[in-house]
Amino acid sequence: MLSKMLLGRYIPGSSVIHHLDPRAKIVCVVLFMIIVFFANHWTGYLLLILFVVSITKMAGLSLIFLFNGLKLILILLVFTFMMHLFFTKGGIVLIDATLFTIESAGVVQGVYITIRLAMLILITTVLTLTTSSVSLTDAIERLCRPLKTLRLPVHEIAMMMSISLRFIPTLMDETEKIIKAQSARGSTFMTGSLKSRMNALTPVFIPLFISAFKRAEELAVAMEVRGYQGEAGRTSYRVLDWQYKDTLAIITVIIFGVFLFMIRQ
Amino acid sequence: MIEFKNLTFKYRAADENALDHISLSLKQGQWTSVIGHNGSGKSTLVKILMGVLTSYEGEIVVGGETLTEENLLSLRKNFAIVFQNPDNQFVGSTVEDDVAFGLENNGVEREEMVERVEAALDTVNMLDFRTHEPSRLSGGQKQRVAIAGALVMNPDVLILDEATSMLDPKGKREVLESLKRIHGMKETTIIYITHDLAEIDISDYAVVMKDGQVISQGDVEDIYKDIDALESSRLVLPFTMAMSKALSDGSYMSYDELVARL
Repeated sequence: MLSKMLLGRYIPGSSVIHHLDPRAKIVCVVLFMIIVFFANHWTGYLLLILFVVSITKMAGLSLIFLFNGLKLILILLVFTFMMHLFFTKGGIVLIDATLFTIESAGVVQGVYITIRLAMLILITTVLTLTTSSVSLTDAIERLCRPLKTLRLPVHEIAMMMSISLRFIPTLMDETEKIIKAQSARGSTFMTGSLKSRMNALTPVFIPLFISAFKRAEELAVAMEVRGYQGEAGRTSYRVLDWQYKDTLAIITVIIFGVFLFMIRQ
Repeated sequence: MIEFKNLTFKYRAADENALDHISLSLKQGQWTSVIGHNGSGKSTLVKILMGVLTSYEGEIVVGGETLTEENLLSLRKNFAIVFQNPDNQFVGSTVEDDVAFGLENNGVEREEMVERVEAALDTVNMLDFRTHEPSRLSGGQKQRVAIAGALVMNPDVLILDEATSMLDPKGKREVLESLKRIHGMKETTIIYITHDLAEIDISDYAVVMKDGQVISQGDVEDIYKDIDALESSRLVLPFTMAMSKALSDGSYMSYDELVARL
């Protein structure tokens, strides 16, 4: 299951979304993060879903593939929904039990916030699935270039982000291997109380951390011997080429945002 | 030529020297295998050569120039290294991005970069995989990408630090085939670190290490003949060597001699 996780993965392809300038994609995602908050009733949320599904299709990614890869995130979504279900009050009382009450506002708010969160996760996943980590580094670096005047190490931060993304699938694979190895030696992760399950994870986390530090050290050595010394004197294999379609993509997202804002109730 | 003169190194927390007065000469264009058990000091030797470990005693001379902190970066441009685990060496999210990483760091112009990346991937037969994700390749393919990443720098010296030890027989064969081709084409000096005696066949020269010391060095056949030294260095004898030892009076028999005897 962990090995199917999409977080941090890049799926090479030749779709329109793949071919957009990574800077345009990042700007679009940032705009989308703002636009998501414009939706405040079911029409807006429906449009948000349609928009994200269209983008996913344009990226040549199947929704089933995305769903399978984001199964673990469902826990977060269910948790968000439950929080609103039990703690947001207002409207008609739907269930009145001794320990809790569920009111209609809680259900509506739970659904809305969960959709909002799900769309944000999906759109950022589409960004990382269609943009290589090297391109992301370049784009973040270029977009944040003005911050260099404040002496922020923009290149180093972008490189760290890119490597973190690149290592997520590797560490997921590692976690799965450790879980299998510990299971084979009698550890159980799916039974018992919450406390005993948490305790059972200790023998997973310790080797995982040791391995992560070892990998980090080996990667640092490998980068050093391949001549990496930070930004100074570096050239780029990937050429960022802003085209008409990139401007068009941003305009489309802005128009969508304005429309969503106008239909607010 | 690379010369290690009386090289001694000790890790900070260790009681004993990891390298103990090592003296070696490696000729240009030669394929040298450095063989030894785990902890014998073979990886430490190349890490010092690459400047990853410092604070050693003795001298390293590369092409007539003594390695110092001042000239380390310029001399290191002539070296490239491939480590044991390819997964821990990849920076790029596609094969070509990763191979280009070293060139980017050295400020190579893009047009030249494209040509060199293509040539390096072609040499290791991985050109068709240029847009693939490195993490999704097989072990042998991953290691060939790592070799391409080293090769693209046009190094005079290519160092492989147990680069085949995590591979299955097929992956190992793929990598060794690529290395043979590279060695044949460019006469690159290869330093091949291994603990598998069966892998030193293809080298021109071999160095056997034990507990931080060189206990034997010479042509591969001479090394094979010194079975006692090999056994004392806690190395596992390949099947043919063990067989030849059992069938003879303990002396070395070549593969053909062994077959004839059998």
